[in-house]
Amino acid sequence: MKKVLVATMLALAVASLYAGGKSEQAPQTQSGLAWVEDGTLHGLPLVNPLKVSGNIITAGSSTVYPLSERMAERFKEEGYGGLITIDSIGSGAGFERFTVAGETDIANASRAIKTKEMDAAKAIGRTPIQFRVGTDALAVVVSKQNTFAKNVTKDELAKLFSTAATWKDVNPAWPNEPIQRFIPGTDSGTFDYFAEEVFASNPEPLLSAKNLQLSEDDNILVQGIKGSPYAVGFFGYAYYAENEAALNILSINGVEAVKENVDNNTYPLARPLFLYSDAQVMRTKSQVAAFIDFYLSYVNEEIVKVGYFPASESDLDTGRKLWLEAMQGTY
Amino acid sequence: MVCGLFSSIKVLHMMHNVTKHPFGKKHRPHEVVIETLLFLFALFSILITLGIAIILIRESFLFFSDPKVDLIGFLTGKVWQPMIGLFGFLPLLNATLTTSIIAMLLGLPLGLFVAIYLSEYASDRVRGFLKPTLEVLAGIPTIVYGYFALTFMTPMLRSLFGESRVEIYNTASAGLVIGILVLPMIATMAEDAITSVPKELRLAAYALGGTSIETTFKVVIPAALSGLSATFLLALSRAIGETMVVALAAGAGPNLTANPFRAAETITGYIVRISGGDVSYNSVDYNSIFALGLVLFVITFTLNLISRKISNIFHQEYD
Repeated sequence: MKKVLVATMLALAVASLYAGGKSEQAPQTQSGLAWVEDGTLHGLPLVNPLKVSGNIITAGSSTVYPLSERMAERFKEEGYGGLITIDSIGSGAGFERFTVAGETDIANASRAIKTKEMDAAKAIGRTPIQFRVGTDALAVVVSKQNTFAKNVTKDELAKLFSTAATWKDVNPAWPNEPIQRFIPGTDSGTFDYFAEEVFASNPEPLLSAKNLQLSEDDNILVQGIKGSPYAVGFFGYAYYAENEAALNILSINGVEAVKENVDNNTYPLARPLFLYSDAQVMRTKSQVAAFIDFYLSYVNEEIVKVGYFPASESDLDTGRKLWLEAMQGTY
Repeated sequence: MVCGLFSSIKVLHMMHNVTKHPFGKKHRPHEVVIETLLFLFALFSILITLGIAIILIRESFLFFSDPKVDLIGFLTGKVWQPMIGLFGFLPLLNATLTTSIIAMLLGLPLGLFVAIYLSEYASDRVRGFLKPTLEVLAGIPTIVYGYFALTFMTPMLRSLFGESRVEIYNTASAGLVIGILVLPMIATMAEDAITSVPKELRLAAYALGGTSIETTFKVVIPAALSGLSATFLLALSRAIGETMVVALAAGAGPNLTANPFRAAETITGYIVRISGGDVSYNSVDYNSIFALGLVLFVITFTLNLISRKISNIFHQEYD
């Protein structure tokens, strides 16, 4: 029996050693990173996904999620053989995992990092680097069955998502029916952004509203809004684009959420989408640097398909420069 | 581990053969070993329960020691929105009770009738077919029930009562599906309660000229009543603790309403939504789920205790 025990323990020890060794990044050779190809694109070195190994862990905004998923898919299609995790848990929770626990390599965010989160990151020795990857036009949507609402002013928007009990309270021309609200959960960047834009950063009126459903899962919101002509909600544009057949998007102050208005900054609810990482993480886990490089190089070819709007070339370039600074001397 | 246990039993067996106690039960060292082992296993489950209780109490203490939270406000407040400092847990409790009561309204009569049929009327062939079917129902994962509620029950309710009256997420749909979910449990336990009524009682009823319906409803059911009450309470505590169905179908926002066709979040639904990774670990929202967990624990624990008491009374009657 003892023999069996000893043998089992030995086997376990060997297995754990092996697993540990495997999960750790193979040390980089002096000559540089294996996946870097000759030549550059937009100033960044070309990535060969076939030669990228090791896993990548990302978490954060449910708005950025479809975009990151798309980029990860393309990364894999072009040969990346590792595992890439993308958790859709809200920007706040994404930052928490990145800055407090330090368990993720990339934080996806639909808002800029807060000072508090920056400090938390410093406390664990990380310095978040911001990469702008695109622009979202936050979509305020109603069901296709809703025939009366087409446009809201920003004042009406504030009433619609706080004190008004019925649609008539918002606009006398609308029916006297209770409003059903479906909004992203309190830790989502979309929630924060909406509170900031519409309620001057005070979440209280938004949360005190009656008939309120909160969810971090935008598909639950879509289901709810589809279900009634008197339902209303908001989320990232991609979820509207995906459910265009069942939903109507409202224009804000008479401005429609179309590329032109997002580009020239007239759509009032346009907002930036970001990835955050850290130079140390990118250097020690070079697959992370490779993925971000790949992301920044090709995001504009994919972003429209997902349903968002391209960031300006200069914003993307700022990110690319930061990437080069972070990776200086490693390849 | 299992292998080790087996070989140690073998070794003990060999020792036993060597020492040879032909009749004696007294001096068998391996009996002691096995008894101790079994006792340790039993102790283990108690320790786990204790551990859960301790963690729940400790973490909810964190919540209640927050200056923004007071116990009275927690128990009597009508709005639950921790993010803006409103901690009244009545909306959550109300939704939990609504779904559970609806579940009981459906599950109890149905389960009871199934049990009566199975124990009093069904032929062996029908029984042999019905029992496994019920067991299949009990084996379906609750997430499947959740989607069943959302994609079958809700549309059905909406087409029956009108789309304007029934919201897409509503407690009625979740409650009905939980009723179906606890049905096999009620049926099995109620059947046990009914079959354990002594045969003499039935025979006496027949001898007095009772028809089988009279015998069942006037003699057997009343005699099994305490067992049936225990069944009811256990099923109720199962319904209160049910999570996946309500998380999917009942709604995702706290809402104090008596209307079962409106969306309302239950205690378990809220715990799922918050622990789904969307809130910072050290925030009041996060700590609040432990307080709610403690409330649930206390409710179901009390129900289970009561149901045990009742079935004890039941046993005394016929021993």
